Amino acid sequence: MFWKSKPLWGNKTRLKSSYDAVIIGGGLHGLATAYYLAKEHGLTDVAIIEKRFIGFGGAGRNTAIVRANQRTQYNVPLYKEALDLWPVLTKELDYNLMFNNCGNLNLMHSEAAMKAARMTIATAQFHGVESHLIDAKQAKELVPALNISEDITFPIHGAMFHPPGGIVRHDAVVWGLAKGAAKHGVDIHQHTEATAIHTEGGKITGVETSRGRIHTPRVLVSAGGYSAGLIYHMLGIKLPIAVLTIQAMVTQPLKPLLDHVVSSGAYHCYANQTLKGEIATGAHMDQWPNYTTQNTAHYIKHQAEALSDWLPCLRGVKFMRIWGGLADMTPDMAPIMDGNDHYEGFYMDCGWGYFGFKSCSAVGKYMAQYMASGHCPDMLKPFNLRRYENHQLMGETAELVSYTPNN
Amino acid sequence: MALTLTCPVCGKRNGYEFRYGGEDKGPRPVEAGLTPAAWCDYVHMNKCTAGVQKEWWCHRDGCGSWFTTWRDTTQNLEVAKPEASK
Repeated sequence: MFWKSKPLWGNKTRLKSSYDAVIIGGGLHGLATAYYLAKEHGLTDVAIIEKRFIGFGGAGRNTAIVRANQRTQYNVPLYKEALDLWPVLTKELDYNLMFNNCGNLNLMHSEAAMKAARMTIATAQFHGVESHLIDAKQAKELVPALNISEDITFPIHGAMFHPPGGIVRHDAVVWGLAKGAAKHGVDIHQHTEATAIHTEGGKITGVETSRGRIHTPRVLVSAGGYSAGLIYHMLGIKLPIAVLTIQAMVTQPLKPLLDHVVSSGAYHCYANQTLKGEIATGAHMDQWPNYTTQNTAHYIKHQAEALSDWLPCLRGVKFMRIWGGLADMTPDMAPIMDGNDHYEGFYMDCGWGYFGFKSCSAVGKYMAQYMASGHCPDMLKPFNLRRYENHQLMGETAELVSYTPNN
Repeated sequence: MALTLTCPVCGKRNGYEFRYGGEDKGPRPVEAGLTPAAWCDYVHMNKCTAGVQKEWWCHRDGCGSWFTTWRDTTQNLEVAKPEASK
């Protein structure tokens, strides 16, 4: 039949005692960086160290939405490139990533929100990203299931329509990148836990793992929600991150009714219909840091209430699966990508919050460039860690996202 | 994941009544000779412990008290103060 005894990314390999580069975390950012290191920069002696299995964390828990309609001049070009890379990677990896650019519709529920949308749209259009402001009637034409009546909790004033965005099959990206990386010589070590990072005279010298010591001059920590705790525990570097559980769920499969990704800030809810017909929906984050990845009854109720308000045809539909993942939030909703600062050869790629999936393709490309040359590419320069102490936080949100007394 | 916290005034209450106030970072640093790096460390930086940590909470929808407690971030359970820090 179709069963293959050998996974796409090759047979289990021996853990060598030395590598040119070690990547901690076999998620999308780690896999993409390894892929580009090997393919574009000839750095093929690379090991990916993954505690569990590739795609265990955020890579397999996100709701697969991709878009490039962020707020700031630093973020938009990065996400635009990530969006443009999906068809390219599909060809390059010879693996169907199931990119469905169905478009994103962000609902606005007040005139103030419409005003904010105008500014975001102007930024997108300035950077050559298609994005339009539409009114409630036009939104209803795009999504007939939408409730645009006045008598709901948050009546819909209009929407921000971003046609190039959509959905990518997240598991396919994990497997495709793993296949591509392995083909170019990268070793993927699953069930291998990094336990310490060794340094000497301000330089990285190696990584201690549950399967033995690896000598290496370069380490990248791209362990998603686990990065901040791991970096503090191993190197004593504190990061401006709060790790929260973010919850998601899918309903039972339905006939096609939603052919766009629809989201609402006021309802704190987004929904899209998967190729299997399920309505994938989510957005709620726990209000306190935790690593549980568990769901709450509180949230399931919230989601049912929100969906039955703005998508009333879903009333009575059952949720079929629920799950949670980790989001490592920074105060300015922008990631931290840095290297060679605290220790020569130490790189980090974290603080993605819930934007890790949409960005992975472009980040892999630029982090690989960073690690291969030792010099930070212009695209990543604004995302350095020092911006916090220099009071140069990014304006991705109007006010700080802070799980502290200011919240 | 659901959470129950013990308010010093109101006792055990549902976690959604409370507001998380951040990791306990000790007293506010003295302003004389304070560097941007030290201030940033106090304001923004976290240890992100996967395990037991001391943290601030406010009983927002209750008596309004601010208090510190110990919680296991991998279980979401309030725990007794660890032996080592007594």
